[in-house]
Amino acid sequence: MRDPSEILAKYGAEEGLIKPSTRVYQVDASRIRELVQELVREYGENRVFVSTIVGIDRPQDGKIEVDIFIEVLGFKPAYCIKVLVPRDDPRMPSIVDILPSALVGELEAHDVLGVVFEGNVYLRRPVFVPEEIASKGAYPLRKDFKV
Amino acid sequence: MAEAREKATVTLEIPIGPQHPALHEPILLRVFADGEEVIDVEVVTGYNHRGIEKLCESNSYYRDLFLVSRTCGICNTIHADVYTRALEQILGREPSQRARYLRVLALELERIHSHLLLAATIAEIVGFDTLFMLIMRDRELVMKAKEILTGCRVHADYYMPGGVRRDIDEVKRSRLLEILNKLEPRVHKYITLFEEDPTINSRLLEVGVIKPVDAVKHGLLGPIVRGSGIDYDIRKLEPYDAYDEIPFNVIVEKGCDSFSRMMVRWRETVESIEMCRYVLTHLPQGEAVVDEKRLPRAFPKGAAFTRGEAPRGELTYYVESAGGPNPYRVKIRTPSLNNLINSRFVYVGLSVADVPVTFASFDPCISCMERIVVIDRRRQVKKIVSFRDLALRRVRV
Repeated sequence: MRDPSEILAKYGAEEGLIKPSTRVYQVDASRIRELVQELVREYGENRVFVSTIVGIDRPQDGKIEVDIFIEVLGFKPAYCIKVLVPRDDPRMPSIVDILPSALVGELEAHDVLGVVFEGNVYLRRPVFVPEEIASKGAYPLRKDFKV
Repeated sequence: MAEAREKATVTLEIPIGPQHPALHEPILLRVFADGEEVIDVEVVTGYNHRGIEKLCESNSYYRDLFLVSRTCGICNTIHADVYTRALEQILGREPSQRARYLRVLALELERIHSHLLLAATIAEIVGFDTLFMLIMRDRELVMKAKEILTGCRVHADYYMPGGVRRDIDEVKRSRLLEILNKLEPRVHKYITLFEEDPTINSRLLEVGVIKPVDAVKHGLLGPIVRGSGIDYDIRKLEPYDAYDEIPFNVIVEKGCDSFSRMMVRWRETVESIEMCRYVLTHLPQGEAVVDEKRLPRAFPKGAAFTRGEAPRGELTYYVESAGGPNPYRVKIRTPSLNNLINSRFVYVGLSVADVPVTFASFDPCISCMERIVVIDRRRQVKKIVSFRDLALRRVRV
Protein backbone atom coordinates (compact mmCIF):
# COMPACT_ATOMS: atom_id res chain seq x y z
CA MET A 1 0.00 0.00 0.00
CA ARG A 2 1.31 3.42 -0.96
CA ASP A 3 2.38 5.93 1.67
CA PRO A 4 -0.14 8.83 1.86
CA SER A 5 2.70 11.27 1.11
CA GLU A 6 2.99 9.77 -2.41
CA ILE A 7 -0.65 10.59 -3.15
CA LEU A 8 -0.41 14.03 -1.54
CA ALA A 9 2.71 14.86 -3.56
CA LYS A 10 0.74 14.23 -6.78
CA TYR A 11 -1.63 17.08 -5.95
CA GLY A 12 0.67 19.68 -4.46
CA ALA A 13 4.18 20.59 -3.53
CA GLU A 14 5.53 19.65 -0.12
CA GLU A 15 5.97 22.82 1.90
CA GLY A 16 8.06 21.64 4.81
CA LEU A 17 7.14 20.48 8.25
CA ILE A 18 5.00 21.60 11.14
CA LYS A 19 6.90 20.50 14.23
CA PRO A 20 7.29 17.81 15.39
CA SER A 21 6.33 15.62 12.43
CA THR A 22 3.42 16.91 10.32
CA ARG A 23 4.26 17.26 6.63
CA VAL A 24 2.51 20.09 4.79
CA TYR A 25 1.31 19.95 1.16
CA GLN A 26 -0.08 23.02 -0.55
CA VAL A 27 -2.98 22.00 -2.76
CA ASP A 28 -5.10 24.12 -5.06
CA ALA A 29 -8.70 24.50 -3.85
CA SER A 30 -10.02 23.10 -7.15
CA ARG A 31 -8.20 19.78 -6.61
CA ILE A 32 -9.02 19.17 -2.97
CA ARG A 33 -12.04 16.94 -3.61
CA GLU A 34 -10.14 14.85 -6.13
CA LEU A 35 -7.31 14.37 -3.61
CA VAL A 36 -9.60 13.36 -0.76
CA GLN A 37 -11.49 10.96 -3.05
CA GLU A 38 -8.23 9.28 -3.99
CA LEU A 39 -7.22 8.94 -0.34
CA VAL A 40 -10.55 7.29 0.49
CA ARG A 41 -10.28 5.01 -2.56
CA GLU A 42 -6.77 3.96 -1.57
CA TYR A 43 -7.23 3.35 2.15
CA GLY A 44 -11.00 2.90 2.54
CA GLU A 45 -13.42 5.06 4.46
CA ASN A 46 -12.69 3.10 7.63
CA ARG A 47 -9.12 4.41 7.73
CA VAL A 48 -9.19 8.08 6.71
CA PHE A 49 -10.58 10.96 8.73
CA VAL A 50 -10.12 14.69 9.20
CA SER A 51 -8.50 15.35 12.54
CA THR A 52 -9.06 19.10 12.51
CA ILE A 53 -9.34 22.10 10.19
CA VAL A 54 -7.33 25.16 11.16
CA GLY A 55 -8.24 28.46 9.55
CA ILE A 56 -5.60 31.22 9.67
CA ASP A 57 -6.12 34.78 8.51
CA ARG A 58 -3.20 36.19 6.46
CA PRO A 59 -4.22 39.79 5.72
CA GLN A 60 -0.69 40.70 4.57
CA ASP A 61 -1.10 38.22 1.66
CA GLY A 62 -4.82 38.87 1.15
CA LYS A 63 -5.48 35.18 1.85
CA ILE A 64 -7.10 32.90 4.35
CA GLU A 65 -5.19 29.69 4.92
CA VAL A 66 -7.24 26.55 5.51
CA ASP A 67 -5.14 23.73 6.93
CA ILE A 68 -6.86 20.35 6.79
CA PHE A 69 -5.15 17.85 9.08
CA ILE A 70 -5.82 14.38 7.73
CA GLU A 71 -5.22 11.18 9.60
CA VAL A 72 -4.74 7.83 7.86
CA LEU A 73 -4.91 4.90 10.29
CA GLY A 74 -1.80 2.78 10.07
CA PHE A 75 0.42 5.72 9.08
CA LYS A 76 1.85 7.56 12.04
CA PRO A 77 1.92 11.32 11.64
CA ALA A 78 -1.04 13.42 10.54
CA TYR A 79 -0.73 15.15 7.16
CA CYS A 80 -1.57 18.79 6.61
CA ILE A 81 -3.26 19.87 3.38
CA LYS A 82 -2.87 23.61 3.02
CA VAL A 83 -5.37 25.47 0.88
CA LEU A 84 -5.18 29.22 0.29
CA VAL A 85 -8.39 31.09 -0.52
CA PRO A 86 -8.75 34.80 -1.31
CA ARG A 87 -9.64 36.84 1.76
CA ASP A 88 -12.26 38.99 -0.01
CA ASP A 89 -14.14 35.95 -1.34
CA PRO A 90 -13.07 32.93 0.71
CA ARG A 91 -14.66 29.98 -1.06
CA MET A 92 -13.56 26.41 -1.51
CA PRO A 93 -15.28 23.10 -2.21
CA SER A 94 -16.59 21.18 0.78
CA ILE A 95 -15.31 17.66 1.46
CA VAL A 96 -17.94 16.79 4.03
CA ASP A 97 -19.83 14.45 1.67
CA ILE A 98 -16.63 12.42 1.14
CA LEU A 99 -15.29 12.66 4.69
CA PRO A 100 -18.08 13.35 7.21
CA SER A 101 -15.44 13.95 9.87
CA ALA A 102 -14.81 17.33 8.25
CA LEU A 103 -18.20 18.59 9.42
CA VAL A 104 -17.18 20.28 12.64
CA GLY A 105 -14.02 21.76 11.10
CA GLU A 106 -15.93 23.30 8.20
CA LEU A 107 -18.65 24.63 10.49
CA GLU A 108 -16.06 26.26 12.71
CA ALA A 109 -13.92 27.76 9.93
CA HIS A 110 -17.09 29.21 8.39
CA ASP A 111 -18.24 30.61 11.71
CA VAL A 112 -15.02 32.23 12.89
CA LEU A 113 -13.35 33.21 9.59
CA GLY A 114 -16.13 33.28 7.01
CA VAL A 115 -14.76 30.55 4.73
CA VAL A 116 -17.62 29.24 2.56
CA PHE A 117 -17.40 25.50 1.91
CA GLU A 118 -19.44 25.10 -1.25
CA GLY A 119 -21.66 22.05 -1.18
CA ASN A 120 -21.88 21.74 2.62
CA VAL A 121 -25.62 21.84 3.29
CA TYR A 122 -25.10 22.08 7.05
CA LEU A 123 -23.22 25.41 6.97
CA ARG A 124 -24.93 27.97 9.17
CA ARG A 125 -24.17 30.85 11.51
CA PRO A 126 -23.93 31.13 14.44
CA VAL A 127 -22.43 27.80 15.46
CA PHE A 128 -20.06 28.87 18.20
CA VAL A 129 -19.84 32.65 17.88
CA PRO A 130 -22.44 34.64 19.89
CA GLU A 131 -25.53 35.78 17.98
CA GLU A 132 -24.74 39.52 18.38
CA ILE A 133 -21.39 39.09 16.60
CA ALA A 134 -22.68 36.72 13.91
CA SER A 135 -25.66 38.98 13.11
CA LYS A 136 -23.26 41.83 12.27
CA GLY A 137 -21.50 39.61 9.74
CA ALA A 138 -18.26 39.86 11.73
CA TYR A 139 -15.72 37.05 11.91
CA PRO A 140 -13.85 37.06 15.23
CA LEU A 141 -10.69 35.27 14.18
CA ARG A 142 -9.93 37.67 11.37
CA LYS A 143 -7.03 39.86 12.36
CA ASP A 144 -8.98 43.10 11.80
CA PHE A 145 -11.66 42.06 14.32
CA LYS A 146 -11.09 44.06 17.50
CA VAL A 147 -12.15 42.61 20.84
CA MET B 1 -30.64 13.69 7.51
CA ALA B 2 -32.49 16.96 7.15
CA GLU B 3 -34.30 15.41 4.16
CA ALA B 4 -35.15 12.37 6.27
CA ARG B 5 -36.70 14.75 8.76
CA GLU B 6 -38.79 16.39 6.04
CA LYS B 7 -40.00 13.10 4.61
CA ALA B 8 -40.85 11.44 7.91
CA THR B 9 -43.65 12.45 10.21
CA VAL B 10 -42.14 14.48 13.00
CA THR B 11 -44.66 14.29 15.79
CA LEU B 12 -42.35 15.50 18.50
CA GLU B 13 -39.54 17.98 18.85
CA ILE B 14 -37.76 17.56 22.15
CA PRO B 15 -35.18 20.16 23.12
CA ILE B 16 -32.71 18.53 25.48
CA GLY B 17 -30.79 21.36 27.06
CA PRO B 18 -29.23 23.86 27.11
CA GLN B 19 -28.90 23.95 30.91
CA HIS B 20 -27.90 21.15 33.18
CA PRO B 21 -26.33 21.65 36.59
CA ALA B 22 -24.65 18.24 36.89
CA LEU B 23 -22.59 18.21 33.71
CA HIS B 24 -20.43 21.03 32.42
CA GLU B 25 -21.08 23.68 29.82
CA PRO B 26 -24.35 24.05 27.98
CA ILE B 27 -25.46 22.46 24.72
CA LEU B 28 -28.84 21.83 23.15
CA LEU B 29 -29.90 18.65 21.41
CA ARG B 30 -33.02 19.21 19.31
CA VAL B 31 -34.47 15.76 19.02
CA PHE B 32 -37.00 15.18 16.23
CA ALA B 33 -39.04 12.05 16.77
CA ASP B 34 -41.94 10.13 15.31
CA GLY B 35 -43.60 8.78 18.44
CA GLU B 36 -40.81 7.03 20.34
CA GLU B 37 -38.42 6.75 17.40
CA VAL B 38 -35.78 9.42 16.85
CA ILE B 39 -35.64 10.66 13.25
CA ASP B 40 -32.99 13.31 13.57
CA VAL B 41 -31.01 15.25 16.15
CA GLU B 42 -29.69 18.74 15.69
CA VAL B 43 -26.80 19.70 17.93
CA VAL B 44 -27.01 23.39 18.83
CA THR B 45 -23.87 24.94 20.34
CA GLY B 46 -22.65 28.44 21.05
CA TYR B 47 -24.03 29.03 24.53
CA ASN B 48 -20.64 29.33 26.08
CA HIS B 49 -18.25 30.70 23.46
CA ARG B 50 -15.47 32.30 25.48
CA GLY B 51 -13.21 33.36 22.64
CA ILE B 52 -10.15 31.64 24.11
CA GLU B 53 -8.39 31.32 20.74
CA LYS B 54 -8.79 35.05 20.06
CA LEU B 55 -7.69 35.93 23.58
CA CYS B 56 -4.59 33.80 23.14
CA GLU B 57 -3.50 36.02 20.25
CA SER B 58 -3.45 39.10 22.47
CA ASN B 59 -1.72 37.53 25.47
CA SER B 60 1.81 36.27 25.94
CA TYR B 61 2.65 32.60 25.52
CA TYR B 62 2.98 32.20 29.27
CA ARG B 63 -0.33 33.85 30.15
CA ASP B 64 -1.91 31.65 27.51
CA LEU B 65 -0.64 28.61 29.37
CA PHE B 66 -3.02 29.44 32.22
CA LEU B 67 -5.76 30.48 29.82
CA VAL B 68 -5.79 27.30 27.72
CA SER B 69 -5.86 25.09 30.78
CA ARG B 70 -9.16 26.79 31.62
CA THR B 71 -10.69 25.49 28.39
CA CYS B 72 -11.86 22.54 30.45
CA GLY B 73 -12.08 22.04 34.18
CA ILE B 74 -12.07 18.26 34.13
CA CYS B 75 -9.18 17.76 31.75
CA ASN B 76 -7.12 20.90 32.32
CA THR B 77 -3.74 19.19 32.65
CA ILE B 78 -3.86 17.62 29.19
CA HIS B 79 -4.64 21.06 27.70
CA ALA B 80 -1.65 22.53 29.49
CA ASP B 81 0.50 19.54 28.52
CA VAL B 82 -0.29 19.63 24.79
CA TYR B 83 0.08 23.43 24.64
CA THR B 84 3.35 23.29 26.61
CA ARG B 85 4.75 20.68 24.23
CA ALA B 86 3.82 22.90 21.28
CA LEU B 87 5.78 25.77 22.88
CA GLU B 88 8.70 23.43 23.53
CA GLN B 89 8.69 22.42 19.87
CA ILE B 90 8.85 26.07 18.79
CA LEU B 91 11.52 26.91 21.38
CA GLY B 92 13.51 23.73 20.81
CA ARG B 93 13.53 22.85 24.51
CA GLU B 94 13.25 19.44 26.11
CA PRO B 95 11.88 18.67 29.58
CA SER B 96 13.98 16.65 31.99
CA GLN B 97 13.38 12.94 32.42
CA ARG B 98 11.91 13.40 35.91
CA ALA B 99 9.56 16.11 34.61
CA ARG B 100 8.33 13.79 31.84
CA TYR B 101 7.41 11.14 34.39
CA LEU B 102 5.68 13.66 36.65
CA ARG B 103 3.70 14.98 33.68
CA VAL B 104 2.43 11.47 32.96
CA LEU B 105 1.49 11.07 36.62
CA ALA B 106 -0.66 14.22 36.55
CA LEU B 107 -2.25 13.19 33.24
CA GLU B 108 -3.13 9.71 34.41
CA LEU B 109 -4.55 10.92 37.72
CA GLU B 110 -6.72 13.22 35.65
CA ARG B 111 -7.83 10.33 33.43
CA ILE B 112 -8.82 8.31 36.52
CA HIS B 113 -10.95 11.05 38.04
CA SER B 114 -12.51 11.96 34.70
CA HIS B 115 -13.51 8.35 34.01
CA LEU B 116 -14.84 7.98 37.56
CA LEU B 117 -16.90 11.13 37.13
CA LEU B 118 -18.50 9.79 33.98
CA ALA B 119 -19.12 6.38 35.55
CA ALA B 120 -20.88 8.13 38.41
CA THR B 121 -22.93 10.23 35.99
CA ILE B 122 -23.93 7.14 34.01
CA ALA B 123 -24.92 5.41 37.27
CA GLU B 124 -27.14 8.38 38.10
CA ILE B 125 -28.68 8.46 34.63
CA VAL B 126 -29.58 4.79 34.70
CA GLY B 127 -31.21 5.38 38.09
CA PHE B 128 -28.55 3.94 40.38
CA ASP B 129 -28.06 6.90 42.72
CA THR B 130 -26.27 4.96 45.46
CA LEU B 131 -23.58 3.92 43.02
CA PHE B 132 -23.25 7.54 41.90
CA MET B 133 -22.50 8.57 45.47
CA LEU B 134 -20.08 5.70 46.12
CA ILE B 135 -18.07 6.43 42.97
CA MET B 136 -18.01 10.16 43.71
CA ARG B 137 -16.77 9.39 47.24
CA ASP B 138 -13.89 7.38 45.84
CA ARG B 139 -13.18 9.99 43.20
CA GLU B 140 -12.32 12.31 46.09
CA LEU B 141 -9.29 10.12 46.77
CA VAL B 142 -7.98 10.93 43.31
CA MET B 143 -8.71 14.63 43.73
CA LYS B 144 -6.65 14.51 46.93
CA ALA B 145 -3.85 12.75 45.06
CA LYS B 146 -3.94 15.44 42.40
CA GLU B 147 -3.74 18.09 45.13
CA ILE B 148 -0.72 16.38 46.70
CA LEU B 149 1.04 16.28 43.34
CA THR B 150 0.13 19.65 41.82
CA GLY B 151 -1.04 21.75 44.75
CA CYS B 152 -4.60 21.99 43.52
CA ARG B 153 -7.56 19.64 43.34
CA VAL B 154 -8.86 20.80 39.99
CA HIS B 155 -6.84 23.38 38.06
CA ALA B 156 -3.33 22.04 38.30
CA ASP B 157 -1.35 24.79 36.51
CA TYR B 158 1.43 22.26 36.70
CA TYR B 159 3.13 22.59 33.33
CA MET B 160 5.79 24.98 32.09
CA PRO B 161 8.00 24.74 28.99
CA GLY B 162 11.03 22.70 29.99
CA GLY B 163 9.50 20.94 32.98
CA VAL B 164 6.86 21.14 35.68
CA ARG B 165 6.17 23.66 38.42
CA ARG B 166 6.33 21.46 41.54
CA ASP B 167 8.24 18.36 42.50
CA ILE B 168 7.34 15.66 44.99
CA ASP B 169 9.36 14.38 47.94
CA GLU B 170 9.45 10.96 49.56
CA VAL B 171 6.54 11.73 51.91
CA LYS B 172 4.27 12.75 49.03
CA ARG B 173 5.38 9.79 46.97
CA SER B 174 4.41 7.27 49.65
CA ARG B 175 1.13 9.11 50.32
CA LEU B 176 0.25 8.88 46.62
CA LEU B 177 1.03 5.16 46.59
CA GLU B 178 -1.21 4.67 49.63
CA ILE B 179 -4.08 6.39 47.85
CA LEU B 180 -3.64 4.23 44.75
CA ASN B 181 -3.59 1.08 46.86
CA LYS B 182 -6.82 2.14 48.52
CA LEU B 183 -8.50 3.03 45.25
CA GLU B 184 -7.66 -0.04 43.18
CA PRO B 185 -9.85 -2.66 44.94
CA ARG B 186 -12.78 -0.27 44.84
CA VAL B 187 -12.42 0.22 41.10
CA HIS B 188 -12.41 -3.57 40.62
CA LYS B 189 -15.58 -3.77 42.71
CA TYR B 190 -17.30 -1.21 40.48
CA ILE B 191 -16.19 -3.02 37.34
CA THR B 192 -17.78 -6.25 38.60
CA LEU B 193 -20.89 -4.27 39.43
CA PHE B 194 -21.08 -2.74 35.96
CA GLU B 195 -20.55 -6.15 34.39
CA GLU B 196 -23.13 -7.97 36.47
CA ASP B 197 -25.84 -5.54 37.50
CA PRO B 198 -28.99 -6.18 35.43
CA THR B 199 -30.17 -2.53 35.62
CA ILE B 200 -26.93 -1.19 34.21
CA ASN B 201 -26.70 -3.92 31.60
CA SER B 202 -30.24 -3.43 30.34
CA ARG B 203 -29.75 0.33 29.98
CA LEU B 204 -26.34 0.21 28.31
CA LEU B 205 -26.02 -3.01 26.32
CA GLU B 206 -26.80 -2.61 22.60
CA VAL B 207 -27.80 1.02 23.11
CA GLY B 208 -26.20 3.64 20.85
CA VAL B 209 -24.37 1.18 18.60
CA ILE B 210 -21.56 2.72 16.48
CA LYS B 211 -20.02 0.50 13.83
CA PRO B 212 -16.20 0.75 13.53
CA VAL B 213 -16.42 2.21 10.02
CA ASP B 214 -18.85 4.91 11.18
CA ALA B 215 -16.68 5.75 14.19
CA VAL B 216 -13.66 6.41 11.96
CA LYS B 217 -15.57 8.02 9.10
CA HIS B 218 -17.08 10.60 11.43
CA GLY B 219 -13.81 11.22 13.25
CA LEU B 220 -15.02 10.04 16.66
CA LEU B 221 -12.27 9.76 19.23
CA GLY B 222 -11.12 8.28 22.52
CA PRO B 223 -13.18 5.66 24.34
CA ILE B 224 -15.89 5.96 21.65
CA VAL B 225 -13.66 4.76 18.82
CA ARG B 226 -11.88 2.27 21.10
CA GLY B 227 -15.28 0.98 22.23
CA SER B 228 -15.93 0.22 18.56
CA GLY B 229 -12.84 -1.95 18.24
CA ILE B 230 -10.31 0.55 16.82
CA ASP B 231 -7.03 0.81 18.76
CA TYR B 232 -6.56 4.53 18.23
CA ASP B 233 -4.64 5.94 21.18
CA ILE B 234 -2.16 8.78 20.69
CA ARG B 235 -0.18 7.68 23.76
CA LYS B 236 0.81 4.58 21.81
CA LEU B 237 0.75 5.92 18.23
CA GLU B 238 2.80 9.04 18.86
CA PRO B 239 4.22 8.68 22.38
CA TYR B 240 4.85 11.95 24.19
CA ASP B 241 6.27 12.78 27.63
CA ALA B 242 7.32 9.41 29.11
CA TYR B 243 4.65 7.22 27.49
CA ASP B 244 7.28 5.40 25.45
CA GLU B 245 8.94 4.20 28.65
CA ILE B 246 5.92 3.33 30.77
CA PRO B 247 4.28 -0.03 30.05
CA PHE B 248 0.53 0.07 29.37
CA ASN B 249 -2.07 -1.56 27.16
CA VAL B 250 -4.42 0.21 24.77
CA ILE B 251 -7.88 -0.84 25.85
CA VAL B 252 -10.24 -1.87 23.06
CA GLU B 253 -13.75 -3.32 23.30
CA LYS B 254 -15.66 -4.73 20.37
CA GLY B 255 -19.28 -4.36 21.50
CA CYS B 256 -19.64 -0.93 19.80
CA ASP B 257 -22.40 0.11 22.27
CA SER B 258 -22.69 2.37 25.32
CA PHE B 259 -21.68 -0.53 27.56
CA SER B 260 -18.44 -1.09 25.61
CA ARG B 261 -17.57 2.58 25.88
CA MET B 262 -18.03 2.39 29.64
CA MET B 263 -15.95 -0.77 29.90
CA VAL B 264 -13.14 0.90 27.94
CA ARG B 265 -13.14 3.67 30.53
CA TRP B 266 -13.20 1.28 33.47
CA ARG B 267 -10.37 -0.85 32.13
CA GLU B 268 -8.41 2.31 31.29
CA THR B 269 -8.86 3.39 34.90
CA VAL B 270 -7.17 0.19 36.04
CA GLU B 271 -4.37 0.73 33.48
CA SER B 272 -3.93 4.31 34.68
CA ILE B 273 -3.63 3.21 38.31
CA GLU B 274 -0.91 0.79 37.24
CA MET B 275 0.83 3.53 35.24
CA CYS B 276 0.75 5.92 38.21
CA ARG B 277 2.21 3.21 40.41
CA TYR B 278 4.94 2.55 37.83
CA VAL B 279 5.81 6.26 37.66
CA LEU B 280 6.02 6.53 41.45
CA THR B 281 8.25 3.48 41.75
CA HIS B 282 10.48 4.33 38.78
CA LEU B 283 10.71 8.11 39.17
CA PRO B 284 14.07 9.23 37.75
CA GLN B 285 16.34 11.41 39.85
CA GLY B 286 17.22 14.95 38.84
CA GLU B 287 15.62 18.35 38.45
CA ALA B 288 12.01 18.60 37.36
CA VAL B 289 11.08 22.16 38.20
CA VAL B 290 11.98 24.74 35.59
CA ASP B 291 13.34 28.17 36.47
CA GLU B 292 10.56 30.31 35.05
CA LYS B 293 12.59 33.54 35.23
CA ARG B 294 15.04 32.18 32.72
CA LEU B 295 12.48 31.29 30.08
CA PRO B 296 12.65 33.41 26.91
CA ARG B 297 9.92 36.05 26.55
CA ALA B 298 10.07 36.28 22.75
CA PHE B 299 9.59 33.17 20.63
CA PRO B 300 11.24 32.40 17.28
CA LYS B 301 9.11 32.02 14.16
CA GLY B 302 7.61 28.60 13.67
CA ALA B 303 4.56 26.41 14.07
CA ALA B 304 3.78 23.26 15.99
CA PHE B 305 0.96 20.73 15.87
CA THR B 306 0.92 18.62 19.01
CA ARG B 307 -1.47 15.97 20.20
CA GLY B 308 -2.30 14.13 23.36
CA GLU B 309 -4.77 11.52 24.53
CA ALA B 310 -7.21 13.34 26.80
CA PRO B 311 -9.72 11.29 28.84
CA ARG B 312 -12.28 11.95 26.08
CA GLY B 313 -9.98 11.35 23.12
CA GLU B 314 -7.30 12.97 21.04
CA LEU B 315 -6.72 16.64 21.82
CA THR B 316 -4.80 18.71 19.30
CA TYR B 317 -3.14 22.11 19.46
CA TYR B 318 -1.84 24.14 16.56
CA VAL B 319 0.35 27.02 17.72
CA GLU B 320 1.95 29.44 15.28
CA SER B 321 4.55 32.00 16.17
CA ALA B 322 5.37 34.94 13.93
CA GLY B 323 8.18 35.95 16.31
CA GLY B 324 7.65 38.08 19.41
CA PRO B 325 5.94 37.51 22.74
CA ASN B 326 2.40 36.62 21.54
CA PRO B 327 1.27 33.73 19.35
CA TYR B 328 -0.07 34.49 15.88
CA ARG B 329 -2.64 31.69 16.02
CA VAL B 330 -3.67 29.07 18.57
CA LYS B 331 -6.15 26.44 17.46
CA ILE B 332 -7.55 24.02 19.99
CA ARG B 333 -9.45 20.96 18.79
CA THR B 334 -10.98 19.23 21.78
CA PRO B 335 -12.22 15.64 21.40
CA SER B 336 -15.73 16.60 22.52
CA LEU B 337 -16.02 18.83 19.46
CA ASN B 338 -15.78 15.81 17.15
CA ASN B 339 -17.56 13.43 19.49
CA LEU B 340 -20.65 15.57 19.95
CA ILE B 341 -21.13 17.44 16.70
CA ASN B 342 -20.15 14.67 14.30
CA SER B 343 -22.16 12.04 16.16
CA ARG B 344 -25.73 13.04 15.32
CA PHE B 345 -26.09 9.98 13.09
CA VAL B 346 -25.90 7.70 16.14
CA TYR B 347 -29.25 8.82 17.53
CA VAL B 348 -31.29 8.06 14.41
CA GLY B 349 -33.55 5.08 15.05
CA LEU B 350 -33.06 5.10 18.82
CA SER B 351 -35.99 5.41 21.18
CA VAL B 352 -36.31 8.83 22.81
CA ALA B 353 -35.49 7.40 26.25
CA ASP B 354 -32.15 6.09 24.94
CA VAL B 355 -30.95 9.53 23.80
CA PRO B 356 -29.76 10.73 27.24
CA VAL B 357 -27.78 7.60 28.05
CA THR B 358 -26.24 7.47 24.57
CA PHE B 359 -25.32 11.13 24.79
CA ALA B 360 -23.82 10.59 28.25
CA SER B 361 -21.82 7.59 26.99
CA PHE B 362 -19.91 10.06 24.78
CA ASP B 363 -18.64 11.66 28.01
CA PRO B 364 -19.88 15.09 27.02
CA CYS B 365 -17.86 17.87 28.49
CA ILE B 366 -20.98 19.98 28.57
CA SER B 367 -23.81 20.68 30.91
CA CYS B 368 -27.16 20.32 29.32
CA MET B 369 -30.03 18.20 30.33
CA GLU B 370 -31.77 18.47 33.64
CA ARG B 371 -35.08 19.82 32.39
CA ILE B 372 -36.63 18.88 29.12
CA VAL B 373 -39.64 20.42 27.41
CA VAL B 374 -41.71 17.80 25.65
CA ILE B 375 -43.84 19.37 22.95
CA ASP B 376 -46.73 17.46 21.47
CA ARG B 377 -47.12 19.17 18.09
CA ARG B 378 -50.47 17.57 17.33
CA ARG B 379 -52.11 18.71 20.52
CA GLN B 380 -49.88 21.79 21.00
CA VAL B 381 -49.16 20.77 24.58
CA LYS B 382 -45.91 21.49 26.41
CA LYS B 383 -44.78 19.48 29.37
CA ILE B 384 -41.59 19.94 31.41
CA VAL B 385 -40.01 16.73 32.62
CA SER B 386 -36.74 15.95 34.31
CA PHE B 387 -33.87 14.39 32.42
CA ARG B 388 -33.86 11.58 34.96
CA ASP B 389 -37.52 10.74 34.38
CA LEU B 390 -36.88 10.59 30.66
CA ALA B 391 -33.93 8.28 31.18
CA LEU B 392 -35.96 6.07 33.50
CA ARG B 393 -38.75 5.87 30.89
CA ARG B 394 -41.24 7.49 33.24
CA VAL B 395 -42.47 9.76 30.48
CA ARG B 396 -45.23 8.85 28.09
CA VAL B 397 -44.72 10.72 24.84
